[in-house]
Amino acid sequence: MRINSLRLQLLAWVVLPLAGLLTINLWTSQHNAQATADLVTDRMLVGSARAIAEQVAMEDGVLDATIPPAAIEMFDTGDRDSVYYHVKTAGGRLLTGYPDLPEALQRGSIEASYRNRRLRLLTLSHAVIGAGADSPITVTVGVTLAGHDAMVKRLWLSAFAQQLALVAIAGVFVLLGLRRGLAPLIRLRDAVRSPNRSDLDPVEVPGAQSEIRPLIDALNAYMERVRAQMAAQRRFIANAAHQLRTPLALMSTQASYALRESAAEQRREALVALQASSGRLARLAEQLLTLSRAEPGSRRPRADRIDLTEAARQVLEGQAPKAIERNIDLGLEEDGPVPVIGDGTMLREMIVNLVDNALRYSKPGGSVTVRLAAVDGVAELTVTDDGPGIPAEEWEHVFERFYRIAGASEEGSGLGLAIVREVVENAGGSVTLGDAASGGLKVEVRLPLSSVKD
Amino acid sequence: MRLLLVEDNRELADWLSKTLRQASYVVDVVHDGEDVEHALAAGDHALIILDLALPRMGGMEVLKRLRARGNPVPVIVLTANASLDGRVKGLNEGADDYLAKPFQIEELEARIRVQLRRANDRTAPVISCGDLVFDTNTRLFSLGGETLSLTPREHAVLEQLVVKAGRTVSKAALSAAIYDFETDADPSAIEIYVHRLRKKLEGSRVQIATLRGLGYLLRHED
Repeated sequence: MRINSLRLQLLAWVVLPLAGLLTINLWTSQHNAQATADLVTDRMLVGSARAIAEQVAMEDGVLDATIPPAAIEMFDTGDRDSVYYHVKTAGGRLLTGYPDLPEALQRGSIEASYRNRRLRLLTLSHAVIGAGADSPITVTVGVTLAGHDAMVKRLWLSAFAQQLALVAIAGVFVLLGLRRGLAPLIRLRDAVRSPNRSDLDPVEVPGAQSEIRPLIDALNAYMERVRAQMAAQRRFIANAAHQLRTPLALMSTQASYALRESAAEQRREALVALQASSGRLARLAEQLLTLSRAEPGSRRPRADRIDLTEAARQVLEGQAPKAIERNIDLGLEEDGPVPVIGDGTMLREMIVNLVDNALRYSKPGGSVTVRLAAVDGVAELTVTDDGPGIPAEEWEHVFERFYRIAGASEEGSGLGLAIVREVVENAGGSVTLGDAASGGLKVEVRLPLSSVKD
Repeated sequence: MRLLLVEDNRELADWLSKTLRQASYVVDVVHDGEDVEHALAAGDHALIILDLALPRMGGMEVLKRLRARGNPVPVIVLTANASLDGRVKGLNEGADDYLAKPFQIEELEARIRVQLRRANDRTAPVISCGDLVFDTNTRLFSLGGETLSLTPREHAVLEQLVVKAGRTVSKAALSAAIYDFETDADPSAIEIYVHRLRKKLEGSRVQIATLRGLGYLLRHED
C-alpha cells in the first residue's frame, strides 16, 4: 500500500506540473489560433476589398461599382458566413452595397456589430483615375465570424489533442519507469517479508540502483548487528545452561545418595552437602540474572546518585555471617561518602560479587579489606584478600564469562568478575587486578566521582 | 567391579564415587585427563566414566588415545554438552555410551550395568552359578533364595569370580580389580577374603577352588 502511494506520489509530481504547463500552453495556443484566424480573415478582407475597388471605374463619366462575384465567393468556406459591403465616394455617396454598414475608421480591421451579428470589417480607400472629387473611393467589406471562429477552433483543437497525447504518453512512461525503477524496492520488500527468512541472512537485491543500495546495505548492516547480538545471547544461554548442568547432576547425586544411605550420620552429611549445593546453585542463578540485566539494552539505564561507602557498608553487613563462619577478618576502610552516578542495584551487586569472591578464595583465618577513597575526581573501591591470588597472565581472561582458571579447586561459576566488569563499564569506569601486599588478589574499581554540587 | 571415574568437578566426583561405592562398586577417581593413563596402568578397571570437559587433556583426547592403544574398556561419556554433534562425535571416537548432565544416578547405574553385561558377553541381568545368584540390577548375591550378606571387599572378590565363573582368576587380577588407589593392595589379604567367602558359601553346591600358582575358580557341583 505504501509502495503504491509512493507510485501515485511520483506520478502526481510528474503529471500535475505537466498538466499545469499544458493549461498555460493551451491558453497561449488559443491566442495564437485567434491571431492566426484574425490574420487570415484580414488578408481575405483586404483581398476582397481590393478586388471590389479595382472594379470601380469611370463609365461614361459616372462612377460605376460592379461587385466581382469572386470578391464575395472567397468567403464561402462552408461556414455559411454572410458578407456585407459598401462602396462610397470620397464625399460619402453610396455607390453600391449596404448603406448602414459601419466603416472602419483606422487602418486595419475592426470588429463591429451589424444587424445583430458580429462582424469583422475593413475599409480600404482607393483612388479612381478621372473621378475628380469623388476620388478616392472607400470600400468597406465585413464578414460574419463563423468561418473565423471555426478556424480558431480547428487550430486550437488540434494543438489541444497533440498536447493531451503528449501528457498521456508522458504519464504512461512515468508509470513504466516507476514500475521498473521501484522493482528493486519491491523485491527488497518481498525479500524482507519472505516467510522463509527466519535467519537474519543479508538481503540480496540484484539490479538495485545506487540510490537503493545504501538502504539495502544499511538494512544488512543492521541485521548483522542484530545477528551478532543474538549469537552472543545464544552463546550466553548455552553457557548458562552448560553451567547449570553440573551442579544439578551433583544435587541429584547427593539426593540419591542420601535416599539410599541407611546410616544416619552419612545421610545427614549428604543432606548438608545438598543444601550447600542448592545455595550455590541459587547464587549462580542470581549471577546469571544480574549478568543478563547488566547486558546493554536489557535494562533502562539508571543514573542514581549513590554513595559507594554506604553501599559497601550494606554489602559487608550482608556478607558478615559468611566471613564469621569462615573466621575471616572482613573490614571496611573509608573516610567519608564517595558519591557516584550509576545503577544502584547493579553497583551493589558488583560489590557483592567482589566481596563474595574475596571471601571464597581467602583461607580461613585470613582477612578481606574493602577500601574506599575519593581521589582527584575518581571514586576508588579496592578489595584485597590474602588468598592464592591470580597469576598475572590470567588477569585479562578472568573477566571473561564462565572463565575458570584450570585446576582451580574452589567451585566458582566463572561469572563474578564478568559481572563486575560489565557493571563498572556500564557506569563509565574501569576495573583492574593487581597483587595485594599480602600476596592475595587486589581488585581496583575506578568510577567517575559525582561532583558534590549537583 | 572396579570403575574409573574421570571428572574435574571434585564435588561431583566425590559424591558420584560415594554413591557408586554404596552399590558395591570399587571406584577410582581422577580429576584430569593426563592422569587417566596412569590410573589405567595401575588397576584393572572394568569401565570408565569419562567427563569431557577436563583440564590439561580433554575427555575426547583421552578417549582417542585410549582407543588408539587398542584398549577396549567400555567408556561412558558424561558431558554438559548435550548437542547431537557432540554425542555423535563422542560415539564416533569410541565411546560406548553417552550421558548428558544432569542425569539421575539410576540411569548412570543402568548404563554401567548394560556396558558390563556387554563386555562379558552376557545378555541376562542375572548371573547364576549353581544355587548362587548375582542380580546385577540390585547388585545383591543370593544363595538358595536367601540374600547373602557380604562386606564390600568380599562382594568385590565374589563378583569378580562369578562374572568369570568356570574360568581361573589369578590373585593378581583379583587384587587389581578389588582395591582402589586409596587402599594399599595386599594380595595376601585376598586369601582371607576367599576364606571368609568359602565359609559363607558352606552347605551350598558352589565352591571356590584354589589352583595353586594359578589362582581361584568358582564352580558348582552338578
